[in-house]
Amino acid sequence: MENKEKVSAEEILSLANTLRWDLGMNLHDTVTESIYEGASKIAKKTVRVKDEKSSVNWDLKIDKVVTSKWLGFPIMFFLLALVFWITVAAANIPSGWIASLLIDTLHPILKNGAAAIGFPWWLSGVLIDGAYLSVAWVVSVMLPPMAIFFPMFTLLEDFGYLPRVAFNMDSLFRKAGAHGKQALTMSMGFGCNAAGVVATRVIDSPRERLIAIITNNFSLCNGRWPTQILIASIFIGGLVSSRWAGIVSAGAVVGVAVLGIFFSLVVSWALSRSVLKGEASAFSLELPPYRPPRILQTLYTSLIDRTIFVLWRAVVFALPAGILIWLVANIHIGELSLAEWFINWSDPFAMLFGLNGVILLAYIIAIPANEIVIPTVLMLTVISSGIAGVGAGDGVMFELDSIADTERVLRAGGWTLLTGINLMLFSLLHNPCSTTIYTIYKETKSVKWTMISTFLPIVMGFAICFFTTQVWRLLVK
Amino acid sequence: MSNQHNCENCPVHHKENLIRLGIAMDKVDYVIALAGNPNTGKSTVFNNLTGLRQHTGNWPGKTVTRAEGGFSYNDKRYKVVDLPGTYSLLSTSTDEEVARNFILFGRPDVTVIVADATRLERNLNLVLQILEITDRAVLCLNLMDEAKRNNIEIDERTLSKELGIPVIPAAARQKEGMMELLGAIEEVASGRYICKPHRIKSRSDKLNHAIDSLVGKLKQQFPGLPNLNWVALRLLEGDQGMIDAVNSGELGTLSPSLIPADI
Amino acid sequence: MSPGSLLLIGVVVVVFLAWIFWPEKGLLSLLTKMRMNTLKVQLEDALKFLFDCEYKNVSCGLHTVAGNLHISSNKAAAILDRLQEMGLIEPRNETYQLTDAGKSYALRIIRVHRIWEKYLADETSMDHKEWHNAADLKEHQLSTEAAEKIAGQIGNPVFDPHGDPIPTAGGDLPLHLGVNLSALKEGDAGRISHIEDEPGYIYEQLMALGLYPGMQVYIMDVSAGKITFAAQGEEIVLTPLFASAITVEKLQEAVHVNNKYELLSSLEIGEKAEVIGISPNCRGQQRRRLLDLGIVPGTIVTAEIKSASGDPVGYRIMGATIGIRKKQAGFIFINKKIVQV
Repeated sequence: MENKEKVSAEEILSLANTLRWDLGMNLHDTVTESIYEGASKIAKKTVRVKDEKSSVNWDLKIDKVVTSKWLGFPIMFFLLALVFWITVAAANIPSGWIASLLIDTLHPILKNGAAAIGFPWWLSGVLIDGAYLSVAWVVSVMLPPMAIFFPMFTLLEDFGYLPRVAFNMDSLFRKAGAHGKQALTMSMGFGCNAAGVVATRVIDSPRERLIAIITNNFSLCNGRWPTQILIASIFIGGLVSSRWAGIVSAGAVVGVAVLGIFFSLVVSWALSRSVLKGEASAFSLELPPYRPPRILQTLYTSLIDRTIFVLWRAVVFALPAGILIWLVANIHIGELSLAEWFINWSDPFAMLFGLNGVILLAYIIAIPANEIVIPTVLMLTVISSGIAGVGAGDGVMFELDSIADTERVLRAGGWTLLTGINLMLFSLLHNPCSTTIYTIYKETKSVKWTMISTFLPIVMGFAICFFTTQVWRLLVK
Repeated sequence: MSNQHNCENCPVHHKENLIRLGIAMDKVDYVIALAGNPNTGKSTVFNNLTGLRQHTGNWPGKTVTRAEGGFSYNDKRYKVVDLPGTYSLLSTSTDEEVARNFILFGRPDVTVIVADATRLERNLNLVLQILEITDRAVLCLNLMDEAKRNNIEIDERTLSKELGIPVIPAAARQKEGMMELLGAIEEVASGRYICKPHRIKSRSDKLNHAIDSLVGKLKQQFPGLPNLNWVALRLLEGDQGMIDAVNSGELGTLSPSLIPADI
Repeated sequence: MSPGSLLLIGVVVVVFLAWIFWPEKGLLSLLTKMRMNTLKVQLEDALKFLFDCEYKNVSCGLHTVAGNLHISSNKAAAILDRLQEMGLIEPRNETYQLTDAGKSYALRIIRVHRIWEKYLADETSMDHKEWHNAADLKEHQLSTEAAEKIAGQIGNPVFDPHGDPIPTAGGDLPLHLGVNLSALKEGDAGRISHIEDEPGYIYEQLMALGLYPGMQVYIMDVSAGKITFAAQGEEIVLTPLFASAITVEKLQEAVHVNNKYELLSSLEIGEKAEVIGISPNCRGQQRRRLLDLGIVPGTIVTAEIKSASGDPVGYRIMGATIGIRKKQAGFIFINKKIVQV
């Protein structure tokens, strides 16, 4: 019985094959055409358009403005700038609230409580100073900007404006071998790279989607903005008189972000011409009609989604990192802690790149979350340079209220203007955070592409820091 | 042709009969597949039926992952599977494969096709393709409000007659037409409405001949399959999934194991 | 160390890495290419060539094999001896004949070659000039399983992009179909079913003339030493040598042969036109996408808006506005005259 079936299946398939040779190369075309023919017949019988002229075509009118040669790009830059400005301006306040609640108020209470119940110092250290604090940090830094940035993006999307951005930006991205929609996933990356990587799903051509995934990390995400702003105000703002400090340091941060866009395009170009040889294999972009966005519903869903995402990330990725950070600073081998061993050992190497051992260690143990890099750097600097009177103890991440205090700590740790610049570059060009790496793996289902997305930026980062440093040392003596 | 779905006073159309079940989907009586072009409001219909809040963007191709939800209507429990939005079911993209395999191998009790009333002709392309695969379908003519604004009139009764399936005008964003849609789903699911789906006729003689001779062979191997024409056409297009199904004999049982793991 | 010497070391490292990893010209890819030119490759190439001779009914001896593989006669003799030892060919008079094992081996290589060409044409942007050479390398590397997997992904093609039939996995291949273009008479019409890709110089010239499989031709004049025909409204003159590289399927009646098509990319904003078809040069995903969007004969398209940078252009197609890049629009044939603006 089974044997008979097998023969029969083969027969069917071989008949199909013979018929296919007979039908020639245009089969798919004729099949599609015959379906459209049917569709068109039915549509003619059932659809009537009354008086096409009388109705005002608002969609076309809006489109003529937002895609016009002169107004298209200014409108786009204005809207995107507005979104960023609102995010930056509005996120500070809730960030401050959450930080003062979780870090300044709740953290001491927990510590005291643990001491009262009689927790050993190491247990309360691992759990409260390590795990709890890093979760609290991630939530306070990440949640407000995410909860503000993404709903605004979603509103623009609901309205129908985002496809027009892709439409306008396509020619630039086409030249880099990418898809116009990458403009959008890149913009989302400024909010969160993991979200940007997920957003690449709207790119329906596999190669261009891969390009967009690999290059998303070049968008400076929310977790990295505070680092950039802090370091720029200390080292670059400090170069000019206080009147200009704000503008100059803001300019430096924007400069780094623009540099990120530049790298994004260059790397897209290189990828599309080497490993991913192939251009937009199936470009098409539907421009949907404009629809009034449903503001309340969008805000609600978006807020819930983002909060869940940030909490998930904080617990799954930042919590173990917090424990690790605490352990590294508190486990001693001989006189020195693990952290100090590593810092002393890696310092000469890091100096080649104009960085230092503290920065390297901070970037290794803070892979899970960029937003704890600065607190970790400060904590490690205090440990390794033995400054007295600052910080909250070994392994306890902290930030200082005043920029001047932060500067004092960093300068005591041996930081110079060059270190600051290199940190800004390295913060732009290093491996994506572990949430993003995990997301890239989930989206591509490929270890190879996940590895490339992880190591490409860090290799670039080291190379660029190296050349910056050596040229700097050659020119500036 | 049945026009029962237009009966607004019938008790079945009362809102109280709908209980949204969200993601609770145990012991379902019927499985509903939700198909449609991208950006036709498919997700909005899904959310209306299940009470879930899947994000619905004004962005073609937003629903990339599949979503499932459930509702109970007139004491029957339904599971809704939201398929990825596609323009066609004939190509090799993963989305299209997921959608067409679910409709063929997942054998949903009803396939609800959500179409954009303002671009009916374009949407009919997919509708006709789906009707080649399944004979239990309902057309939800969504975005009727936009069509009205654009002075587009659609003769739903003729459309229903041409397609051989119930056609329900709706405006899912305003929650209009949803009760009528439920009524039609119930009628088709329970077998009270027998669909006589439109099938493509205008193919070249050469192709028709090829399909016929292949269907002849297929009939011997898989008697009783309702959509052999479609199977034959897929084989002629070299669809690997279909070739595997013929090879393994799985086509005969229409076993759901062929459906990709994440559906 | 001083910054100067460090910089120097850095630059040297970068140059060195680039020298190793540079795509196509780097050491790594050169080494891979060299490793590929082994005995196995030459054996397979010889076998393939002999199969081709049989398929086309040409007799091929030692010297033609040597010429085709660009090797010395001695080497060719050694290769042919080796093929005989392997039981893949048998000598017959001055020529060689493939054994059954030889045939199925050759068909497998040809299948892999043509599948790979089809894959490159459909799924990558590689230029048509590169397909053949890339497939010539790939046919020796790709395992049967890997080739079958690729075939499944691209819809188990039965024709390669030159119009050649692809042998089945079981080794079936249809008989040589169609006639030579040089065999057509004045007034005949046909559709190009195949353009021979060897020798390369003839193939490249034919490609440069814009000829491709699927194109309709109409013979205008046949006289001593040249054939004049119309293809898509262009008048083309070929010598019989070049014409013999083209295989055509004869058509009973020709449609649109003499119309020179306009391209969608030439449509100005606000203009309407009717779609005539999509150029056969647009393949794979790109083509299917356009078809799915409603680019089928008879559809009316209106150029509606230009993007801020001029490309892509948004076209109104069946009620939706679709952005299409200039390059793709250049694949779509339209007729402006049918539609009154």
